[in-house]
Amino acid sequence: MTVTATKSQTAPTRVLSYAGALLETMDAGLANNPNAFIMGQGVDDFKGIFGSTTDLARKYGPKRVFDLPLMEEGMTGIAIGAALVGDYPITTHIRADFAFLAMNQIINLASKYSYMFGGIMTCPMLIRVVVGRSWGQGAQHSQSPQSTFAHYPGLTVVMPSTSQAIVDMYPQIIGRHPGPVVSIEHRLLYNLDFSVSASSKPIPLTSYVAREGRDVTVVATSVMVLEAMRAAQYVHETAGIEAEIIDLNSISHPDWDLVAASVRKTGRLVIADTSWLEYGVAAEVCRQLMLRDPGLLKAPPAMLGMASAPCPTAKSLEDIYYPSQHETVDAILTQVKGARHGIALPTEKSMTEGYKRFRGPF
Amino acid sequence: MIPNDELYRRLFRTSLLIRLVEERIIDLYPSDRIQSPVHLSIGQEAVAVGVCDALRPDDLVFATYRSHGFYIAKGGNLDAMFAELYGRMGGVSKGKAGSMHLSAPDVGLMGSSAVVASSIPHAVGAALSFKRRGTSQIAMAVFGDGATEEGVYHESLNFAALMKVPVLFICEDNGLAVHSYRHVRQSYNLVKHAATFGIASRRLDEGWDMLAVRQATLEAAERVRAGEPFVLEIATARYKEHVGVGDDFHFGYRGQKEIDEWKARDPLLTDKTLLEALRPEIEREIEKAVAFAESSPAPGRSELLTDVI
Repeated sequence: MTVTATKSQTAPTRVLSYAGALLETMDAGLANNPNAFIMGQGVDDFKGIFGSTTDLARKYGPKRVFDLPLMEEGMTGIAIGAALVGDYPITTHIRADFAFLAMNQIINLASKYSYMFGGIMTCPMLIRVVVGRSWGQGAQHSQSPQSTFAHYPGLTVVMPSTSQAIVDMYPQIIGRHPGPVVSIEHRLLYNLDFSVSASSKPIPLTSYVAREGRDVTVVATSVMVLEAMRAAQYVHETAGIEAEIIDLNSISHPDWDLVAASVRKTGRLVIADTSWLEYGVAAEVCRQLMLRDPGLLKAPPAMLGMASAPCPTAKSLEDIYYPSQHETVDAILTQVKGARHGIALPTEKSMTEGYKRFRGPF
Repeated sequence: MIPNDELYRRLFRTSLLIRLVEERIIDLYPSDRIQSPVHLSIGQEAVAVGVCDALRPDDLVFATYRSHGFYIAKGGNLDAMFAELYGRMGGVSKGKAGSMHLSAPDVGLMGSSAVVASSIPHAVGAALSFKRRGTSQIAMAVFGDGATEEGVYHESLNFAALMKVPVLFICEDNGLAVHSYRHVRQSYNLVKHAATFGIASRRLDEGWDMLAVRQATLEAAERVRAGEPFVLEIATARYKEHVGVGDDFHFGYRGQKEIDEWKARDPLLTDKTLLEALRPEIEREIEKAVAFAESSPAPGRSELLTDVI
């Protein structure tokens, strides 16, 4: 499946998978930053973190790309210590859930090191975590902890939704960004191909407009940006509705003025996040808009996220656990035309359908 | 031990500085000028002083919230320390760190953490970098006996042994985690435990003896600098309560007798001649630091969000 890139295409484009974009930026990160290194469980094995670190150990040697014992907290603490003496560590968690074992170091140390010591020390590093979804990932391989991390001042949290976002943002992060960055990658995206352009205006470490529109604003994260793009295409074709899609992109440092300006224009809002709604991204979007102008919306906003339960493994339940393409389209149509819009919903249910040839293993 | 020996005098002086600084903190504490928890190292000074004296200036130390001793022993500035305790702009960290998070990276004391065991892997990470760059520096993790019960201690030892990084693990064994004795917390012997990772280790019972601590650290550091981790466990004694400036014998959870036995060997209590000889100039130094803190401005609103990245 090829998902067309979202930016105006003036520069030459090429096709690059999400995993390919990761591999390219990891490679460039090591090449351009002699102090950078990658460590994590399995980074040097034949699978190479789903293809994102493949062959880098051979290319850069075991001092710069190396496997680790199972030690999430220790690994993150080691990264902090290395960063404090001038190195740039990149750590990996093949599931975001495993990063919870490193929360002490991420939250109590890395996020606070600059502030707590009055700015005399910093620990710049990139923590890559991968969110799982579909094929029975279950309760502990599927969590999407963006609001958890973004709650703590001192962390930069990004959720690249396309190959373009990776090739644009990672070079701004690796060896450049002064603090710890948590990048929440999505497993469903890894094998997708995207059009990538060598743009003179790279995607910034904040929000951007992924699709311009006049009728309704969709604020989305990660794989839900793609769901929203497909839904926008559908409502364009079936109902002439033009949805404006904002990829929130940075969860810790979103461009709220951009979001507010869009909602001021459309008056209608759909929030599509990859995690739970409670105390999450959806709640924060509403808080920010409410603070700016409680009268921005013409109707209550629609919110799409995971059901308020741990993720079930059974496919019959998993299928209704995540927001479907049906629900995304329905939410957009309902915002613009009301609940009795009468427009047929798409047959394809969600990204997982587009992904259906994939049979694991993860 | 030769009382007039230059080395002994140097170590004694630094130990006495730590003790008198903390006694000054005890005096000041009721005035509420220091508005933050303090964890005093009175009784444990010889460990910080002996250990730090054995290091090179460019070796790094990662310590704990009981950090006054290591801050001073590694060479941290006294004015900046008192201003930090006071929460003033002249402090090391503009008052944002306080007693529990002292640091002096200019002299090799990195950030002290108030979460037990959490700075141990930082020393391992710094050591990993030293090894990759081929410098001859070593990194030292300082922690209490309670920290060895945390998972990250074991993760750190395993990694250090696997990668052979130049890290020196120093356990200050005061036998207490807050109010709990070690025997109710630990099923292992720390030295034997380190050996299961193939890490060379040693216990020093004479933790009151600055020269013995220094010598043991020199020997350990030499092996570390040659490219292997080392665990050095040093017995010591916490005279004061876990947190705060008071005694805690009257609560009945521990006996005074064991501390009295320790005090009977404490050079800062027994070597009265040297103590009285050095006390006046050290007290002047402390008064100067206190005066600096008193005159340093408190951080204003503009600092509230500064240094959040």
